[in-house]
Amino acid sequence: MRLEVKGIHKSFGDKEVLHGIDFHVESGKALGLLGRNGAGKTTTIRILMDVFHANSGEILLDGKKFVPSRHRIGYLPEERGLYPKRTVIDQMIYLACLRGLNPKEAKESAKRWLARLEVSEYETRKLETLSKGNQQKVQLAATLVSNPEIIILDEPFSGLDPVNSQILKDVVNELIAEDRIVIFSSHQMSYVEEFCDEIAIINQGEVVLAGRLRDIKKEYGKNRLMLAAENLSVEELAQKVEREWPDLVSVSGRKRDILILELKEGADRRKVMAALAASSVEVERFGCYEPSLNDIFVMKVGEEEE
Amino acid sequence: MKRFWIVLKYELKEYFTNKVFMGLTVVLVVLGAAALFLPRFVDMSGFTGVQVVGDKEDDSTQDSQQGERPLFLYADEAGVVQPQVLGEMFPDVDWQEADSADALRSLVENQEAQAGFLVTGATQYEYYVYNKGMTDHNTAVFDQAMKLFYRMQYSQQKGWDLGEITAMYDVPVTVTEQILNKDSGSNYWYCYVLVIIVFMLIVYYGQMIAVSVTSEKSNRAIEVLVTSTSPNSLLFGKVIAGAIGGVFQMGVILGAILLSYRVNREQWGGMLDMFLHIPGEVLIAFAFFGLGGYLFYAFLFGAMGALVSKTEDISKSVSGLMVVVMIVYFFSLMQLMNIDGPIIKVLSFLPISSYSTMFARVAMGSVAAWEIVVSFLILAASIAGTGILGAKLYRMGTLRYGNPIKIGTALKDLRKSD
Repeated sequence: MRLEVKGIHKSFGDKEVLHGIDFHVESGKALGLLGRNGAGKTTTIRILMDVFHANSGEILLDGKKFVPSRHRIGYLPEERGLYPKRTVIDQMIYLACLRGLNPKEAKESAKRWLARLEVSEYETRKLETLSKGNQQKVQLAATLVSNPEIIILDEPFSGLDPVNSQILKDVVNELIAEDRIVIFSSHQMSYVEEFCDEIAIINQGEVVLAGRLRDIKKEYGKNRLMLAAENLSVEELAQKVEREWPDLVSVSGRKRDILILELKEGADRRKVMAALAASSVEVERFGCYEPSLNDIFVMKVGEEEE
Repeated sequence: MKRFWIVLKYELKEYFTNKVFMGLTVVLVVLGAAALFLPRFVDMSGFTGVQVVGDKEDDSTQDSQQGERPLFLYADEAGVVQPQVLGEMFPDVDWQEADSADALRSLVENQEAQAGFLVTGATQYEYYVYNKGMTDHNTAVFDQAMKLFYRMQYSQQKGWDLGEITAMYDVPVTVTEQILNKDSGSNYWYCYVLVIIVFMLIVYYGQMIAVSVTSEKSNRAIEVLVTSTSPNSLLFGKVIAGAIGGVFQMGVILGAILLSYRVNREQWGGMLDMFLHIPGEVLIAFAFFGLGGYLFYAFLFGAMGALVSKTEDISKSVSGLMVVVMIVYFFSLMQLMNIDGPIIKVLSFLPISSYSTMFARVAMGSVAAWEIVVSFLILAASIAGTGILGAKLYRMGTLRYGNPIKIGTALKDLRKSD
């Protein structure tokens, strides 16, 4: 399956909040939808789920118009909420039945997901009696109870402690391995980096960067090197580099005790290695620099803001 | 349709597993039935005028009742009082002549006698009572006694035979009523009671339905729900479940009351027939129009619930609707006295008021079959219309949190989105 979002525009009143959103994702892959608060991620997801209608643009599944009600979709909205005064199992069966399962399948699936998320012991308890973290896990179980083919998770890690986050990470990895489509919105870049093959960074209602994460990282790390020395501090190393090898590299940044260098035109890694070997620098770390998603996000959104 | 049944079943389960709802139903059934079984176990002959069936009063009972009879006093300064007449006109009272006006007043003041009459002239008397009750009609009866004393004295003076004059004056007339259509007199009270019941259903359960719709916005479950099924299934399921819950509760309570009265009708001497002995055709008309109107308002309450996101804002949202319900209620009751008048005819075709006025016309007035059919079709179409409108408002109100949305604004937004 291939889900494509093409040229989505959305206005609330006179204000256009999405100015042509494009991205795509395929089965067995996860797409990370990134953006600052108010960038338009949740609005995009709500249009995808038909909660809001787009003013223009289209959403296609395998080339045909995507109608959410015709597919099993697991949607975890940003606004979390279930029935606080009803039992966990009752509402899970209810939601599963609403999404097309028969009562027997619904019950089996509800029990399976509660067990998978380690909240089986609470199945007969009213939701309001559970801790916030366990409520969040029940909400996730309710999202997945219909065994969806497309999973859309809006900030799924918010409210989870590290142990529960690990459980969710494992579940998301299983879903990807089972060939589902996963769309994932989060501020926590480390999680996105862990699961997502593709990303789309939305800023002020526009996709400012989209594509395969590996390619993006490669592109942003192109001609960049990292260097750390045992006998020099980052500042001393930076001064030395600028003083002694101005034709080879320039200092493009610092990351804790590592210096980020950019190759000058005509220079290459071997020349730099040779220069280092001939110098008094005791190399602690040297290699190609691969930026983190966080660096890319800050860099890209920062550029756009400027 | 399948999703509608899933929602309906889930929402009904909420009502029927709710301890407060079921507990209240049981308590009201028991109280209603117990009240109507009361004459079987407690002597209420003073109220019902019927002795408990199967129980013959023994002498001791009679003695104790004799001892409980109230004591009334009279002091006759005009020399007109005939004590045997007083005994006949006040059969449940013991009479005693007071020595003087002061003695009469003092005995009443000390509550040794319940009431006292000081007759100061042939057509004048003073009434003494310590606390006058709401239903104290003693002066009305004593007025009659005084008039009789006057007539007796006057006839005696003139040498007339009072018995002959009275027989001529109050000649008995025999009437046999041949009611060819409706007896408004006897049907009036059924209608009155049934109008009140529908009004209570609408107001009480309508609010419950609005709360049930709003709670999904307040607990933020709505986004999960509207992305799981259609808003039509959700709103219709919720509203119809609320309506069934209301009808069930009211039906069980009313059923218990009607059945208990039927079983104990003899013990009550038929005195509650005017309220509780409801003819079948009136109940059928009530089932169609009363319940139809209830459903119509239930959808409107559901739609109003969809316009707010906090349950505490519901009263603001439904206030306009409540005004309509109240106006219709008072108009319907007022127009029962003029059942074939033009106002009630118009009201009986409007969906906001046909729930009470059309079945009242069926019960008490002249109404053609086509009028009933047309009125019901208008009501049925309006129920469907309000249901669809409610579902649209419900869908539109999704994720619109904050201040209540005004109905005018909501309708304008709906027109724009269409």
